[in-house]
Amino acid sequence: MPSLKDLRNRISSVKSTKKITSAMKMVAAAKLKRAQDNAEKSRPYAEKMKQVVSSLTNKINQSNFKFGKKITSNSNKTVLLLVCSADRGLCGGFNGSIIKFTKKLINKLSNNGYTVKFIFIGKKAYQALKRLHSQSTLENISDFANPSIKFEIASSVRDQVLELFDSREISECHLIYTKFKSAISQTVEAQKLLPVESESDIDNEENKKINTSYDYEPSEEVLLDEIIPRNIAIQIHSGLLENLASEQGSRMTAMDNATRNANDMIDNLTLFYNRSRQALITKELIEIISGAEAV
Amino acid sequence: MSFKLEIISPQSTIFNDDVDLCILPGIEGDFGILKNHTPFLTTLRLGIAYIYKEKKLIETYLVSGGVVEVSDNQCTLLTEEIVRSNEFIPSNQENEIDKKKEKIVNKLFYS
Repeated sequence: MPSLKDLRNRISSVKSTKKITSAMKMVAAAKLKRAQDNAEKSRPYAEKMKQVVSSLTNKINQSNFKFGKKITSNSNKTVLLLVCSADRGLCGGFNGSIIKFTKKLINKLSNNGYTVKFIFIGKKAYQALKRLHSQSTLENISDFANPSIKFEIASSVRDQVLELFDSREISECHLIYTKFKSAISQTVEAQKLLPVESESDIDNEENKKINTSYDYEPSEEVLLDEIIPRNIAIQIHSGLLENLASEQGSRMTAMDNATRNANDMIDNLTLFYNRSRQALITKELIEIISGAEAV
Repeated sequence: MSFKLEIISPQSTIFNDDVDLCILPGIEGDFGILKNHTPFLTTLRLGIAYIYKEKKLIETYLVSGGVVEVSDNQCTLLTEEIVRSNEFIPSNQENEIDKKKEKIVNKLFYS
């Protein structure tokens, strides 16, 4: 049985842990508010851009333009994955689920005969995957969200991706990020950035109705060459924003749980401490009384 | 005789209102948009966007690049770099682009 001093020490250590977790929860809640605002503000832009691109791609011949599927690239099956994760831990299952999702995707791709390359944005996914995939890691960007995510990061990643795609070192590019739904629910998603393909056939019919009357200035091909790099940058940017909001939300719930668990532990320990104290006093009394009786 | 104009940047929706006319610097020349414009899609160059409401010039923006989509009496301007032209402060006199921007801001064509 632990002594009273041991118990006191444990209670005080749990108490100080609780202080840390509740402070982290507050910080995460404040950051979440801002990150969520930013993510939601970027959504209309990203969605509108997506619409414009898909309405354009439906109109033109796939093999003719720069960012479409390359016929010659069949021999080269290399996929570039942009993996967004957090820079810090202590955010529940956030990083874990990104890593799990990525590993699954790697398996699936390599079974289909693809070579996989990586650009990591955020430290945690890189740390987890570098042992197996350090050779195929092209870049590792960390400390990007300090104090806020700048558009320049997205555009520099975009430039790198387009260069690789142009020189045919990669044939596909996917973005892996966590979409923010609410503070307690986030899902990991993969989004295809390159090559640009038209939507499924069902959408085609609907879109065509609207599209047939569009005037393009200059021609569709030139417009696409201009718009697609923009679109990729904005998709990466909004992915990063969503990811940050998810991280903060996930951290907030994790820290909330930790604080609650610490409270439970303190209650139990205090009860146990008081009981042992009482038992000790009773024992001493019995000793004194039985001693007096003996005399 | 008005249509809806939306100016959206990655950070926020900058403008969202009914307007009478807007004149935008298209990549192949300036163009004006009125109600019932034909569906239209183009990119922008560096220049000034003029917005008119009730026959008055209510706003001018300095834009550098972007995408404009017009369809169904709804005009959407997507741009990363946009600022109210009276709020534009040239950050660096040596910079070629900033010099150009300042020149454009100081010369309004359609006021």
